[in-house]
Amino acid sequence: MNADAPLLQMRGITKRFPGVIANEGVDFEVRYGEVHTLLGENGAGKSTLMKILFGLYAPDEGEVLLRGEKVSISSPSDAIAARIGMVHQHFMLVPTQTVAENVALGLKSKRGVLTDLDSVSERIREISEEQGLAVNPSEEVWRLSVGERQRVEIIKALYRDAELLVLDEPTAVLTPQEVEDLFVVLRRMTESGRGLVFISHKLHEVMALSDRITVLRNGKVSGHTVPAESSREDLAQMMVGRAVRLTPERPIVEAGPPRLTIRSLSVTGDRGTTAVDNVDLDVHSGEILGVAGVSGNGQRELAEVIAGLRDPQAGATIDLDGMSLLGVDTRARRDRGLSYVPEERMRDGAIGDFTVSENLILVDHGGDQFSRSGLLNFGAIKEHAAALVERYAVKTPDIDTPTSSLSGGNIQKVIMARELTAEPKLLIASQPTRGVDIGSAEYIHERLMEQREKGTATIVISEDLDEVIGLSDRIAVMFEGRIIDIVDSEDATREAIGLLMAGVTN
Amino acid sequence: MSQFFTLSILVATLASGIRLAVPYLIAALGETIGQRSGVLNLGVDGVMLLSAFFTYWTVLETGNMWLATAVGLGVGLVMGLIYAVVTVFFHATQGISGIGIFLFGLGFSELMFRKQVGAPTPVDKIAEVDIPLLSKIPHIGELFFQHDLLIYFAFGLVPIVSFMLRKTTFGMNISAVGENPQAADSLGVSVAKTRFAAILLGNLLAGLAGATLALQLGLFQGNLTNGLGFIAVALVYFGAWRPTGVMVGALLYGMVQATVNQLKIQGSIPQSASDIAAMAPALLTIAALAVLAGRIKAPSALTRPFSRA
Amino acid sequence: MRNATKLLLRLLTLFAALALITAACGDSSGDDGGDSASSDDGGSSDDDGGSSDGDGGSDSDLSVAIVAPSASDDLAFTQSMVESVRALGIEPQITDGTFIVEDAAAAIRGYAEDGVDVVIAHGTQYGGSLEEIAPDFPETSFIWGTATDTKGLDNVYAYFPEAEQGGYVNGVMAAQLTDSGTIGVVGPVQAGDAVAYIEGFTKGAESEGATVNVVYTESFSDVALAAETAEGHLANGADVMTGTAQMVVGAVNVAQENDVLWFGTQANQTDLGSDVVVASQVYKWDAVLETMFSQIEDGTLGGEAMSINLANGGLAIEFNDGFDLPAEVKTLGEETVAGVIDGSIDPN
Repeated sequence: MNADAPLLQMRGITKRFPGVIANEGVDFEVRYGEVHTLLGENGAGKSTLMKILFGLYAPDEGEVLLRGEKVSISSPSDAIAARIGMVHQHFMLVPTQTVAENVALGLKSKRGVLTDLDSVSERIREISEEQGLAVNPSEEVWRLSVGERQRVEIIKALYRDAELLVLDEPTAVLTPQEVEDLFVVLRRMTESGRGLVFISHKLHEVMALSDRITVLRNGKVSGHTVPAESSREDLAQMMVGRAVRLTPERPIVEAGPPRLTIRSLSVTGDRGTTAVDNVDLDVHSGEILGVAGVSGNGQRELAEVIAGLRDPQAGATIDLDGMSLLGVDTRARRDRGLSYVPEERMRDGAIGDFTVSENLILVDHGGDQFSRSGLLNFGAIKEHAAALVERYAVKTPDIDTPTSSLSGGNIQKVIMARELTAEPKLLIASQPTRGVDIGSAEYIHERLMEQREKGTATIVISEDLDEVIGLSDRIAVMFEGRIIDIVDSEDATREAIGLLMAGVTN
Repeated sequence: MSQFFTLSILVATLASGIRLAVPYLIAALGETIGQRSGVLNLGVDGVMLLSAFFTYWTVLETGNMWLATAVGLGVGLVMGLIYAVVTVFFHATQGISGIGIFLFGLGFSELMFRKQVGAPTPVDKIAEVDIPLLSKIPHIGELFFQHDLLIYFAFGLVPIVSFMLRKTTFGMNISAVGENPQAADSLGVSVAKTRFAAILLGNLLAGLAGATLALQLGLFQGNLTNGLGFIAVALVYFGAWRPTGVMVGALLYGMVQATVNQLKIQGSIPQSASDIAAMAPALLTIAALAVLAGRIKAPSALTRPFSRA
Repeated sequence: MRNATKLLLRLLTLFAALALITAACGDSSGDDGGDSASSDDGGSSDDDGGSSDGDGGSDSDLSVAIVAPSASDDLAFTQSMVESVRALGIEPQITDGTFIVEDAAAAIRGYAEDGVDVVIAHGTQYGGSLEEIAPDFPETSFIWGTATDTKGLDNVYAYFPEAEQGGYVNGVMAAQLTDSGTIGVVGPVQAGDAVAYIEGFTKGAESEGATVNVVYTESFSDVALAAETAEGHLANGADVMTGTAQMVVGAVNVAQENDVLWFGTQANQTDLGSDVVVASQVYKWDAVLETMFSQIEDGTLGGEAMSINLANGGLAIEFNDGFDLPAEVKTLGEETVAGVIDGSIDPN
């Protein structure tokens, strides 16, 4: 072992897949005791690089050095033996097993073929204590909260004595408070000399946590920097390759009269519990109302009930421009001026096997514009599709490409194009930029602002606080189905909203 | 009519139910192990047919039941090997592969029977082994302690399989691989090896189930199982992937069959309702499944081939 | 993954092809006597009984094919037809085990296309297929059973056994042999000659004062259930049993094991339980086939339904020589046969 060498060096890593170069000559390094962030858009090559580190892919070129020595890692077992741990974005946990069983999985048991969960539990308690990662070893994982599950993932790595820990988008599912707790834990880990790789695209978190930052774009390193020397805009520029505006320009628009009026709205969720609890809400013409909240606090049900995909409990009122939307099917709601960009865009928003042009007329195919006595008018459809693809800058080989082969951002643009063409009076956009590249997100934000200027009443539901604060005129925070506060975005801070999202009022 | 509740007939009926339940039980325990690892095997019936034939043939030729049982187990192992290679290494669709194994077993066992044996020729059945003292207890003895060794063994398997799944590292690996193979893989547990072993074990038991059927009947003919293996697969769902649940299901199925039979003998079920009554075990299973459906959860990765992506 | 599935399907196809080839070889080796040894075992005892009919049959030049749902050596339904044709000095082509009607239909049409003179569709369930196929081949004669009508087709003969007759005779004898007075019956699905046999048997046994417990297991193939049904009869005190269809092998085995008497039907079942089988009603289709074949040679290709019965020798009671049957019972059996033939006894 070379005492001066960094913990990890990846040199000139190249990995090709048929038709794609996922990594091209990537250099990446982690020192003892530092957090080194790997930043990049979806498909920039971050996860490929980490899969190579973890032995899931073999690189075509390049070498990996650990503690100054060249290593060959060809399986997760090799990686674990080399004291590399990974906390995956999608938790690698067996929900039906206990915490102890999850931790013990794959380890040699002291009792031979029998499990030795007692001694494993004992060690888990020690680690919990040392690192401030409270979790009950004998609890079954499916009963744990998301934050607790993440702690189990970290404990799994520490149990295996990981010195280099990769955290793949660890904050994606956490509340702001949980993120802060996590950062404390991570800091403590670096103090004991461990090296961390932090993968994220949430720029303010990257700025807050990182010692160093490496940005990837199209499989190549597009820049190295440290937080002190870059702004979030600089980082975004390195990711996208051009200057981007992270928060849209928000011209002053005089909010008009309320268009959407909701009173005493309660909704039963999928599990039979009350998902939306006695909500009153007004959304005005020319206003964007942001709905913030940790996933699962009733936002989705709220959107679905307005869109007509779900029934409210008795006693509710939902009026659009004074006309009730209740008891009317989705078709009729659209006719009255409602447009909906759903959260699950591939499940609820578009049909993957349909072409771009088919998805663009999915809603209006029955109208006079595109069909005559039940027969589709393909000429008109093509013309319409081509125009929309152009206007909304959808990157697609042609309008007859199956929608599922487009990137997330472009699928979202197709849906936005379709929904906005209807000239809505009320627009509901759920997670409009989740999984969407920064460039497309910027574009989508601009289109939402355009609607605002046209006088549309818009509801934007997002878990991305920067997006909510940047877009909205007012922000409604949902917690356990209730709107616990509505704040003017002029006065809103991330911290204040974060506390509200955790249910803390004053 | 109803002499049904005389004690000796009740005992005989229950004993009949236990005998009927045993091939289901053994096959379903094997299928439980496979499914817990995420592999559905619809070929159980075919494996049972092959094993039943070769077991029967061995008895016919050698008269040695131990050798015959070993042959039956061997057939299960070989079929398990084929199924494991096809599903684990070639990632073949499990449903279709299983049906393929079934069709092969159905056809090949009948073909071999016709070529090698021809007419149904009875051989000695496996003998009952009376447990000393216990078998002498009136009624209880007949019910529980006057059976052949395979029946005792089948019920002995329930706690063994249960223990194996819950208390050993192998069992832990099996359920990890069946619930979240990516997680197991990320911790260095070989999904392929674990599933391979689980499939082999499962097919070994399917082989034993076929051998049991042949040894208990002392006979073979085409389609001897009459779809028994498929019922066994259903019983795994019924038993919520737990050996004790599977045992309850198998016993219920056998007991209802035996009871329906007994009621028919005594004329309590009129001949006009005979066909409907014959569906009772299946209907009961379906009804129980419908009631339980919301509360039981299959292994999440069941039928999903695993490959790193 | 798709490739693997393809590979698997190919492998399976290969297996299936292999199986078919082997099966075909099996049949042809049957032609040159290769595997007839085993079926001869099964048929040896009724060759004796059938020899007189066989002698009467002129060796015909007709080419005959049989399509049947179970194995040609099943000691039951299918074997009875194969042996009847052989008894007439004709070696038939055989497609057996076609319990799937579509497979049978393909085989029937195939034989007709090959120019076979007579195609025997040995299964009630093939009737629908025949209605479609027979009109396409007016030069071919089809013989179909068991069935009581020809569906109005003039190139179709139908045949059926009056199985209740032998059933009645078996029942009368069974009643003499039971000590407990209880007789158990293991039946399959309630259809066709199974019902006729069982009802005749019941009537015969009850006329002699015995109690008959009838169970239809509702399966032609569930051997285990048939065996357990026999066990159930034993628990209820039965000391004589009978049954019909191919799954009874399980029940006969139980009878043999428990030293309980058994009466067989459809074919001579002595080999299944040489110590306990008393007598079997055997089907000798040659009794009607002979008439049909000579009519076919004379140019009448069908249009008639014929039954086999005790009177025309199509049904016969064959005794197990290895079983020590009291002479008075055997005499009673023979008198009952005579009574059915002369009409003084009505088994229906």
